Amino acid sequence: MGASFINIFLVFLKIGCLLLGGGYVIVPLLQSELVDKRGWITKEELIDFYALGQCVPGLIAANTAIFIGYKLRGKTGALVTLLGLTIPPFLTIILLASILTELAKSTIMNNIFWGVNIAIIILIFLTVKEVWNTSIVDKFTLFVFILMFILSIIGVSPALLIIFAAVLGIVWKKRKEGRR
Amino acid sequence: MKLYFFLYFEFFKIGLFSLGGGYATLPFLYHMSEQYHWFSPVELTQMLAISSITPGPVGLNVATYAGFKTAGIIGSILATSAIMMPSYFMVVMISKMLKKFRNNFFVESALYALRPATAAMIGAVSIRLFKDCTIRSMALNSFSFAKITSFLDIKAIVLIICLFIFSFYYKRDPLIFLLIGAAAGIIMHIL
Repeated sequence: MGASFINIFLVFLKIGCLLLGGGYVIVPLLQSELVDKRGWITKEELIDFYALGQCVPGLIAANTAIFIGYKLRGKTGALVTLLGLTIPPFLTIILLASILTELAKSTIMNNIFWGVNIAIIILIFLTVKEVWNTSIVDKFTLFVFILMFILSIIGVSPALLIIFAAVLGIVWKKRKEGRR
Repeated sequence: MKLYFFLYFEFFKIGLFSLGGGYATLPFLYHMSEQYHWFSPVELTQMLAISSITPGPVGLNVATYAGFKTAGIIGSILATSAIMMPSYFMVVMISKMLKKFRNNFFVESALYALRPATAAMIGAVSIRLFKDCTIRSMALNSFSFAKITSFLDIKAIVLIICLFIFSFYYKRDPLIFLLIGAAAGIIMHIL
């Protein structure tokens, strides 16, 4: 299945439907749909786009989708992924607007999403395992992982961490080059 | 007409200035509720509950809902496209530059460190969500083993372990995990 506009749109429509419990689950979804099943992007590209998506203001899931859309088919591709991702959440809210407050209170819905949120934890955890090999390649990257993990746990803003990591990477590589 | 303009303008501002995603949009939304009375702070809290049972990031859900409530379908389309518009243009611009500078020394070295950093941040998110799901209240000062079940959600831990074991055998489609989670959510609360 090639990356034609209609195919891209349909895949992101599916991802838009499954984007439950906030935006985090976008990474496992993209990994499965784009990397594993279709090979449209590589694991490295996915993690790069997600990293870059956090540097840009706005919703991270959307930013990541736009990056991928642009990579696949340029400006129009970016618009197509954005539309695909946005339409399902948009329609859900519009169509259910009148009953949403009731739904949010219902026991059965809360039970369902209790389970869904737990599934999301596992999916996100599996993603880390997936991207481990492509991102932790030497001692320096292991160090960055541990440092950023701790800073992230204690609640430092993702935007700050991203900038910090980028600077660390540049400084480290510069020093290494200087030594040669 | 004026309402449309302000709706668009305010959500455009969120799209432009909220860095860090997800809950970074919240302060903006609270401010908006005070300034424009499109929705009350209480309604905003309800919207957060709503976005936890509908697909999509919180910011997007609130934009659609607030737009719809204040100005119907047109309002929702305006607010939703407004919050996405800055992302679209900025990402396209950065992508263009990346294409040129993909093999640039600075871009290469930044990404070299950004990959483990991103993996770490995703890992930290899973830890935080795990904590949110399993620990009911942080009553650590009154900690005792007899009480452990009163603040640990044992069912959640059981489900996590089951899904984790399942993941050794099956990892192809996240949809399956979400469906199992949904089914388990119903079944485990009947038991």
